[in-house]
Amino acid sequence: MAKKRATKAKKSAKKPAKKRATATKPAASTTRTRATKRRGPRSASERVAGLLLILPWLMKRKRVRLPEVARQFRMSEEDLVADLQMAAVCGVPPYTPDALVDVFVDDGWVIAEIPTLFSRPLRLTSAEMYAIVAMVDAAQRLPGASKRTALTSAVAKLRRLTPDSDDNPVKIDLPDDPLLEELQRSQQESLELRIAYFNPARSDVSMRTIRVGKIFSERGHWYVLADDDKSGAMRNFRVDRIQSIVRTGKTYDQVDVARRAESEADREWFGDTLESVTLRVRDDASWIAEAYPTVSRVKNRDGSVDVTLRIGSEHWLARLLLRGGGNVEVIEPAKYKRLQATTATEVRAKYV
Amino acid sequence: MTKKVKINAAERMLNLLALLSVRNQPITLKRIRQELAGQYSEDPDAARAQFERDKSDLRELGIPIETVVLGGDQAGETAYKVTRNNYEFTDANFTPQEIEALQIAAATVRLAASESEVALWKLGAERVRPSLGARVTIGFSDPHLDVILAAISKRAPLSFTYKGDDRVVDAYGMLARKGFWYLVGHDHLRKAQRVFRVDRIESEVKMGKPNAYKIPKGLNIAKAVPNDRQMMAAGDYEHPTAKVRVDSSLVRGVTREFGREAIVSEGADGSAVFEVPCSNTYAFRLWLFAMVDKAEVIEPQEVRDNVVRWLDELAERA
Repeated sequence: MAKKRATKAKKSAKKPAKKRATATKPAASTTRTRATKRRGPRSASERVAGLLLILPWLMKRKRVRLPEVARQFRMSEEDLVADLQMAAVCGVPPYTPDALVDVFVDDGWVIAEIPTLFSRPLRLTSAEMYAIVAMVDAAQRLPGASKRTALTSAVAKLRRLTPDSDDNPVKIDLPDDPLLEELQRSQQESLELRIAYFNPARSDVSMRTIRVGKIFSERGHWYVLADDDKSGAMRNFRVDRIQSIVRTGKTYDQVDVARRAESEADREWFGDTLESVTLRVRDDASWIAEAYPTVSRVKNRDGSVDVTLRIGSEHWLARLLLRGGGNVEVIEPAKYKRLQATTATEVRAKYV
Repeated sequence: MTKKVKINAAERMLNLLALLSVRNQPITLKRIRQELAGQYSEDPDAARAQFERDKSDLRELGIPIETVVLGGDQAGETAYKVTRNNYEFTDANFTPQEIEALQIAAATVRLAASESEVALWKLGAERVRPSLGARVTIGFSDPHLDVILAAISKRAPLSFTYKGDDRVVDAYGMLARKGFWYLVGHDHLRKAQRVFRVDRIESEVKMGKPNAYKIPKGLNIAKAVPNDRQMMAAGDYEHPTAKVRVDSSLVRGVTREFGREAIVSEGADGSAVFEVPCSNTYAFRLWLFAMVDKAEVIEPQEVRDNVVRWLDELAERA
């Protein structure tokens, strides 16, 4: 804590003495302010970029708890304190207190009460502008989206700042599904649902009672993470595979289910318990290497790629092999080497 | 002799920015070194190199450092200044309600990239925990994204390698769809509008001179990127459509994809026959085989024969 308080001394200390408090610490594996996620010590430019974001943000709020600032900017507290300490001794010659950046850390609080230098943020870059407008546009198009005037006027102000005020050239194409609204309503009102769900891994339809914890979209599909009576656990359901929805008439504890959904959402989609398969793909089957999360990808001299991925079921792999056609083959495990041929034979049986 | 103090580059950059921002007049490097005593090297060449690096880094962060060639007693000397209004964000005054609304929107549609978060912070907002309701996560972390977006805003052509060819593209816009980013633009090589999947760009992306082109009025970026259904229709196979029987378990999904108007007939068991495009045989096959044994081509006979041939070829592989 002594280190965190050290910057308070800036009010009286002379410049050279203060330098000693500014030694940077190599960041272990912290996430960078600008989400670069590079490991190793941060560059001077990264630290300055971060401070030019953090300082105006702090000066607007004046007092914020240290962990909250660190969480907000995805930094370790150690890096944050080091940067703030450094900023506190920066300013304009002759470095009198009124010509220094007024920020210090005291007893777990970050305090920046007097906006001297760096009190206003940098302008938004075009990439940032496009990103936030695209994001808000997409949010407004979601079923049940807020039609609040505050968002509408915020969007109007943002649009006036963009280089293309009439039409943002960056778009987010969201999948659409008529069941989404009912799923959202059931979540908001904590209504238990009975669904008929097609499971492609087993190629069957099962009836399940679910309590919705989270609704989200990834890679062009909507999913529901829900407490599922059939498995007795939180399960992901792809919304376009839900055949029908009926309310059971029961309600559930939304807080508990949402909490479990959040902790489940942090888990890897494909854990180590799933089986690994290595496929060799080439030419028009190369999409396999791009469409799914892979464990590894190794390019061969002949242009083919050996892709290792984790599979949810044999049926899922069979489907992938059928779609990949003649340009995909199983390298290992050996037990799946004939899976493509047997699947093709089974489907062929329909065409008699 | 003055005691040497080790100055880190970040601190020196901040001090330089502060100095250039508060001085009313442009100042020379010599004066900067005097004012920031001990922060630049005593060796003039080394000091110049440090200063150039700082200047370049600050410009990279979006801070325009202006240069002025002085006259009078200092004729020919270069001086530097920064005008705060040229880089500080002062254009919009968002109300607390607007900021809150933006925060909620950002918690609903999350771009997995720094750009959206940085924009929020600059607007004075913060990341908040997502609320109830649908949430979307869009990957926005492609290394080429920054330069492409900057090029769009500046109307500056992009150069990169794609499918083995060097391309020059007037970038019109971008679309995020199904986990991928697409760039829509005019391809100088093909002399036509083309779509590029950003993660398939094979080289660095370089930006040319600004104001080199105009974005066509009324261009619909979402429609410019063909969807799966359009891909299936984009080919020269002699049969434009095929009728496919789909098992009841998948009827809802296929109806969602092609609309009820694609349903030709419905079976008592809940199955349905859809008429779907098949001009692009590759895209059609990918779509058909995704349903494994839950779909069967009914007609035309030639398409059905093709499917049988594909299946026989795979069945013979071992």
